[in-house]
Amino acid sequence: MVESFLQPLNIFLLGLGGGFLIPLLYRLSKRLPAVAFWTALAGIAIISGACLWRLLGGADAFEIETAGTAPPLAISLRLGPAEGFFAFWVNLAALFGAWHLWHRLRDSYTFLLLYLILVMGINGMIMTRDLFNLFVFLEIVSIATYGLFGLGQTRAAMAGAFKYIMATVLASSFFLLGAAMLYHVTGTLSIDEMIARRDLIAGPIGTTALVLVLACLVIELKPFPANGWGLDVYETAPAGVAALVSVGVSAGVFFALLKLMPLFAPQLTLIAVSAAVTFLFSNLVGLRQSNVQRMLGCSSIAQMALLVLALSLLMRHGEDDALPLVVGGLFFNHLFAKAGLFWLAGAVRRRRIGGWNILSAGAPFIFVFCSLLVAIAGLPPFPGFWAKWELVLRLAEHGGYAWIAVVLLGSLLEAAYLFQWFGRAVKPGRGEPAGRVPRWGLFPAAACVALLAIGGMVASRAAGAASVWLHAPLVAGAALLVIEGLPGRARCLSMLLVVFAAGTWMAQGIGGINGLFAALLLSGGLVIAAAGLYRGDARPGYHPLMAVLLLSIVALLRASTSLEFFFAWELVTLASAFMLALSPAARGVLLQFLLFSLASAFLILAGFAIARAVTGTTDLAAFLAAGPAAAPAFVLIALGCMVKIGVIGAHVWLPASYAKADDDFSAMLSAVVGKVAVFGLFMAAYLATRSNAGLELARVVGWIGILTTVIAALLALQQADMKRMLAYSSLSQTGYIVTAVALMSHLGWVTALYLVANHLMVKGILFLAAAAIIERTGLRRLDACGGLVGRMPLTFAVAIVALVSMSGLPPLAGFGGKWLLLSAMVDRGWYGPLALGVLATLVGLLYMLRFGHALFLGPLKPEHAELREAPAALLVPQFVLVAGILLLSFFPKLLMDPVSAAIDPQFASTLVWQGMSLELIYAYWNPARAMAGAVGLALLGAGVLWVIYRIGRWPSRAGGPTRFFRYYRPLLAPMLASHAERFWEAVSVAVGGAAGAARRVYTGNGQTYALQVLAYVLVLYFFVAVFPMIRGG
Amino acid sequence: MGLPISHLLLVTGLVLALIGMWGVLVHRNILRIIIGFSLFGTGMHIVIVATGYVTNGTAPIIDQALPIGEAAARAVDPVPSALVVTAIVIGFSVTAIMLSFAIRLYEARKTLSIDAFTDSKW
Amino acid sequence: MTRVWAAVIVILFGVVFAGLALGYSERTAPSDLALRYLEQVPADLGAANVVTGILITYRGFDTLGEVAVLFMVAASVGMLLSGSASPAAGSVRPARPPSELVVNGAEVVLPIAFLFGAYVIVNGHLSAGGGFQGGAVVASGVVLLVLARPAVVLHHGFLSVTESLAGVLYVTLGILGLFLAGGFLDSHILPRGAFGAFVSAGAIPLISALLGIKVAAELSVIIDRFRN
Repeated sequence: MVESFLQPLNIFLLGLGGGFLIPLLYRLSKRLPAVAFWTALAGIAIISGACLWRLLGGADAFEIETAGTAPPLAISLRLGPAEGFFAFWVNLAALFGAWHLWHRLRDSYTFLLLYLILVMGINGMIMTRDLFNLFVFLEIVSIATYGLFGLGQTRAAMAGAFKYIMATVLASSFFLLGAAMLYHVTGTLSIDEMIARRDLIAGPIGTTALVLVLACLVIELKPFPANGWGLDVYETAPAGVAALVSVGVSAGVFFALLKLMPLFAPQLTLIAVSAAVTFLFSNLVGLRQSNVQRMLGCSSIAQMALLVLALSLLMRHGEDDALPLVVGGLFFNHLFAKAGLFWLAGAVRRRRIGGWNILSAGAPFIFVFCSLLVAIAGLPPFPGFWAKWELVLRLAEHGGYAWIAVVLLGSLLEAAYLFQWFGRAVKPGRGEPAGRVPRWGLFPAAACVALLAIGGMVASRAAGAASVWLHAPLVAGAALLVIEGLPGRARCLSMLLVVFAAGTWMAQGIGGINGLFAALLLSGGLVIAAAGLYRGDARPGYHPLMAVLLLSIVALLRASTSLEFFFAWELVTLASAFMLALSPAARGVLLQFLLFSLASAFLILAGFAIARAVTGTTDLAAFLAAGPAAAPAFVLIALGCMVKIGVIGAHVWLPASYAKADDDFSAMLSAVVGKVAVFGLFMAAYLATRSNAGLELARVVGWIGILTTVIAALLALQQADMKRMLAYSSLSQTGYIVTAVALMSHLGWVTALYLVANHLMVKGILFLAAAAIIERTGLRRLDACGGLVGRMPLTFAVAIVALVSMSGLPPLAGFGGKWLLLSAMVDRGWYGPLALGVLATLVGLLYMLRFGHALFLGPLKPEHAELREAPAALLVPQFVLVAGILLLSFFPKLLMDPVSAAIDPQFASTLVWQGMSLELIYAYWNPARAMAGAVGLALLGAGVLWVIYRIGRWPSRAGGPTRFFRYYRPLLAPMLASHAERFWEAVSVAVGGAAGAARRVYTGNGQTYALQVLAYVLVLYFFVAVFPMIRGG
Repeated sequence: MGLPISHLLLVTGLVLALIGMWGVLVHRNILRIIIGFSLFGTGMHIVIVATGYVTNGTAPIIDQALPIGEAAARAVDPVPSALVVTAIVIGFSVTAIMLSFAIRLYEARKTLSIDAFTDSKW
Repeated sequence: MTRVWAAVIVILFGVVFAGLALGYSERTAPSDLALRYLEQVPADLGAANVVTGILITYRGFDTLGEVAVLFMVAASVGMLLSGSASPAAGSVRPARPPSELVVNGAEVVLPIAFLFGAYVIVNGHLSAGGGFQGGAVVASGVVLLVLARPAVVLHHGFLSVTESLAGVLYVTLGILGLFLAGGFLDSHILPRGAFGAFVSAGAIPLISALLGIKVAAELSVIIDRFRN
């Protein structure tokens, strides 16, 4: 009995029977239609779910013959795994959608029957194996959609519906003609038979018929530029209906295309190009949208185009085995994320992006909103991430680099407008709240998030990255999310405990450089995160995100495949971006931060894809053995890491984010998170070890590093804001590390690690000191403070230690690091960078002098007379870090030995250039002479500057260091004019302009849209029928 | 010998479709546009019927005029006819829906010019 | 400017269509599938009208879908126009009374039209016609009716129940096919009967009648909706 109920045919019986019954039931009782509606809809979902379950269990595909006759005589349907997958998830989404739309649907039983038959129609499009029956189901779906547009009350909604009808009627007329003519040439309407007789589809009639059928499906998927009608409907229809069109109707059409794909085998490239154009331009146009639903519409169209792109390219390359993960993953991701966002948009009832403010909507709402955005953007842990990864990898295998560029560029644009929306929605203190969303109103979208999370898990297994430790960061974050009700400090403590426990567990067995980084970053991260105890306020979300961040870093270091690495990398990016967003001041720079981070991630992704194509494996260890062919991969990964490091030119995002983040989080960003990119650079460097080309490129990286050091140091000198100055100083110090890594020598890499350790501790201390001063004074400007040494002596003491260590003055660790670096550069004969390094050291001395002087020396401001010392929660971590510095300074072997051991076995033999042995380095480890040389030179430079200053300021009386700096800073200003900022500004303006120009095709006139649709058909015809003839002669 | 009958029908259908297309693209009045769509659809239907014709064929109905034994030799292809019945009904449905939307649009603006309904664009 | 573009598009489509017309050559024999239909519909289904046999049985799933389309349209048109059922007072021109020709003609033609419609519906399996065609004839009778007698009020509730009931019965007949015959919508649930007899061809006449009733009711509803 149950068995016979759970047959796919019953989906149609429920849909049609339910639909026909609803008016009858309405005569009997006003309540009955609702009962019938929910029963039928739930029945459809259950049946498709049960069928899918059985199919996944290995059952044979369900073959349904109507009229008791086999095809081609009668219409037949099929429910195989692919059909079951699409059908079930669409039906489930439709069920949620009905929940969302219920308050509107129940107005009239007409809507109920339309909705029900629409869902049935989508199932029909998915299952039918008859071409003409496909047309009938297409029409059922279209007409039900037209009817549901009646839910929109506004004039714009009616106009939008009419335009939609015009375009889709043209499309389906072509399908009708095409199907009939395909029958004429093949003598069958059964899709399977038609595919078997593909050869018969030739000649003018066959070719035209094929074009017409293809054109219909492509147009129904709303290709750019013939898609204004689709956007108008997305904008004006009620959100629930728009969601249904976006995920349901499109899914049906997409599946129709999928099943007809074998007919279009020679047109796969054309389809891919059309999809690529749509993907790029829809995302471009999305940048300029101010209406939430229209923007989501752009994203919908783009996502469907991405699906088509993936489908056609994978089929072209015969990579059918990747289809379930890539197409299935992308579809599932789009289905639930897009529907969820549309439903949220409907629940919030603010049409314009500018009117969105979700801060008062409650934490669950914000969580759901963020999760859906992350999912749409194709970021982990959701299925879209895994699917995109697999897609890019497969494309790289076949040398499809242009396609990869399209996919990544489009994704970047999409992320740009989605997170722009996020930025607007969380902008503080403006406009009225976006209306409370009742708890049940959030349910459908929340269910989507849950499904997406589960889907992500499944996809990660399919992609081959299902290790428990890899997902531990998210699990820890989720666990901490559960105890968000506790007081702030209790949450911070539990976070520290969780990170410590999970982190040490995860870090077990990590060896080599990775192990060193892991030990360093985990312990440093814990110490700095402990500073979070100084704030007793709620900070919702901060601690779970911190746990995700720190544990993801450990996961990244444990990664043994590029996929694991990339997954963890993206998690680090996301966690830090959202933590940044927790600071209201930083929300303005969030988008910049995210875009540069994502650009960096995409560069790395492309690099990994090439590396995989070259080495044939995602194993990171294989990087060491990669030959010269891996040079492009090295370039891309190194470029990605350098963007994330913020090397000069790509640095514009860094100072602002560091400066505006929460004060203790700035310390984390600079000290710990910034090192992740350095580690990435290390890994990229493995790729360069085996080839001369790679080594030459490493030289370029070295120059970039040292230029970053110098320019960032000069910029640091310019800053008035203490955190901004520290941010530039961070950048400058990281530049040294980049150079050290780029040396590609044993000595260089030892140095790099040494500098990493030193910088971690130094910047941790300085940012925490800044946090303490801001906490006590509320001031951020350097010259607004002064004389704090008396009020905050402990802070002063630790800051001095850090400053000394950073500036490279003996006897602290910074000196050792700088000395190692200079030696390594001499060894390689890098005299240019060497000179710049010395210059940077001088400038570094100056700005650090300024930092110490302006804050702690000089006269105390009267209003600061009552200041207290920094809170213990801030001081203790600083002292721990000071202890670290002292340890590193006086017992360098503690770090050097393991570093050397880590590098020696793995790399010493593989490096083209053999570095000097460690004994030799230790032999040089005699500070006296070297110290005198380097520091003396720097001091000499400072003296010369002082003299120039005195001469220049001759008429007036001599001032203190404050005046000294005031004299030099304007002199430097023109040199440092923000070329980079202007460049990126111009890029942003240009992209915005392009978006503005691209959307000019959407005139809003239905007739123009019809014209565009017809023109699109002609273009397709040209490329399918005429172009090959021309080319063929 | 002139054109075969189905050829004539085919050309008629295609020309009708072109006329309909012209109407859709050029006329500003929504009702005329709808008429254009109807013509376009009808043209398509004629073309489909035409493709089912078999030289010297007759309607595929078994009666005195077409004994069952001769059906295979003398009947036209019944499939396009069957398809067209369905297509006609669907075409009618679409026209009805378009007309209802046209009425709603007219109520909103008191005009039937398609140029008046560009509320959403760009 | 639009006209120029429109002309370009239409001309290019003209070229495409010309390619079709030039490439087309008339069939000299039906396709294999058509031959099988021509053989099987009379032999297996027992219907003389091959088109009806295909429509009702072999492609019955299409027909069911198309009925659903019509059903949805009837409902949607009602829903879309229900907001506008009350014309603003005074803005409506007083309807011109129908001409004598129409009124008198209707009296003569109407009974014939309805009768003819009924005939076409129930004889669909034997001769040219069928549920859709007959239903359309009946509905055109309704058009004439409302033109001739503007005051006549169609009972929407009745029509709506009729069409729903016909639909439900149609689906039920289809389901019976699952149990009594080879599959969904199989018309073998009733005996084939004598070829060419009025009661023959299994369930085809029954389904045809249901279709006719449903189509007639739906078209009438749609037409009447536009009247108001």
